[in-house]
Amino acid sequence: MAARVLQQCVRSFARPSLRLCSGNLAVRAAAAPTAALHRPLSFAADSRRTRWLGQSRTPSVGVLCRQYGDLPPLTLETIKDRVLYVLKLYDKINPEKLQTTSHFMKDLGLDSLDQVEIIMAMEDEFGFEIPDAEAEKLMTPEEIVQYIADKKDVYE
Amino acid sequence: MASTAATRAAAATTKVVKPIFSRDLDEAKRRVRELYRAWYREVPNTVAMFQLDITTRQGRNKVREMFDKNKHVTDPRVIDMLVIKGKMELQETIHVWKQKTHVMRYFHETEEARPTDFLSKFYHGHDP
Repeated sequence: MAARVLQQCVRSFARPSLRLCSGNLAVRAAAAPTAALHRPLSFAADSRRTRWLGQSRTPSVGVLCRQYGDLPPLTLETIKDRVLYVLKLYDKINPEKLQTTSHFMKDLGLDSLDQVEIIMAMEDEFGFEIPDAEAEKLMTPEEIVQYIADKKDVYE
Repeated sequence: MASTAATRAAAATTKVVKPIFSRDLDEAKRRVRELYRAWYREVPNTVAMFQLDITTRQGRNKVREMFDKNKHVTDPRVIDMLVIKGKMELQETIHVWKQKTHVMRYFHETEEARPTDFLSKFYHGHDP
């Protein structure tokens, strides 16, 4: 759900050169230093779009830029934003009192079944199963972020 | 002498019994959480399959209400038995062995609550 919002943001950012390789452009925009390795030419960020549009007809562009479908890469910041976004949407949590270190049971006054619902919302958000043995230990948003970063190999 | 009497009393009250599934309270609570997850994920499918006139949110609140009714239980065997009954209900709901009326029976729509305070009972009739 928040992933779709992020995907739309990425698509709207890359729309001028959507025809070429929008996914690659988004990855390149996120990691600018690695872009120079991929292409033989080196160009500044603001002239990137004009260069792309200028070389739209050469077939070598299709060879050099691979088009893969993938989500934007996860960073600790994006994981934390998505976790807090999902938690703010939950109606039993007061969004003003929510912080990354707020304990679900002690600070926010939630139940164990509420915590199960929150973990299920995180599963739906990030798209992978969280087994109950580890899910019952995740009691703050910070711990959830750490767990997801461990599982998704987001280096801290 | 008082201490041996106390230990004998303690040994009498806490018998060691054969567990049904879980050995301690934590395992039993884990089973409860698994059952709650399964019911939570099943509610939208139930509402669609039986064409119920309730929203998913109402269905999930009803599931939470049924789980909260037994929140006070501490005996792992009783919890296991309740989980087994919940699983049976879940199986019947998933496979559509129930009908719409059986599912809506949880909502007590046509039952009137019995009056509790004195004046309501007085107006209702002579039933004590």
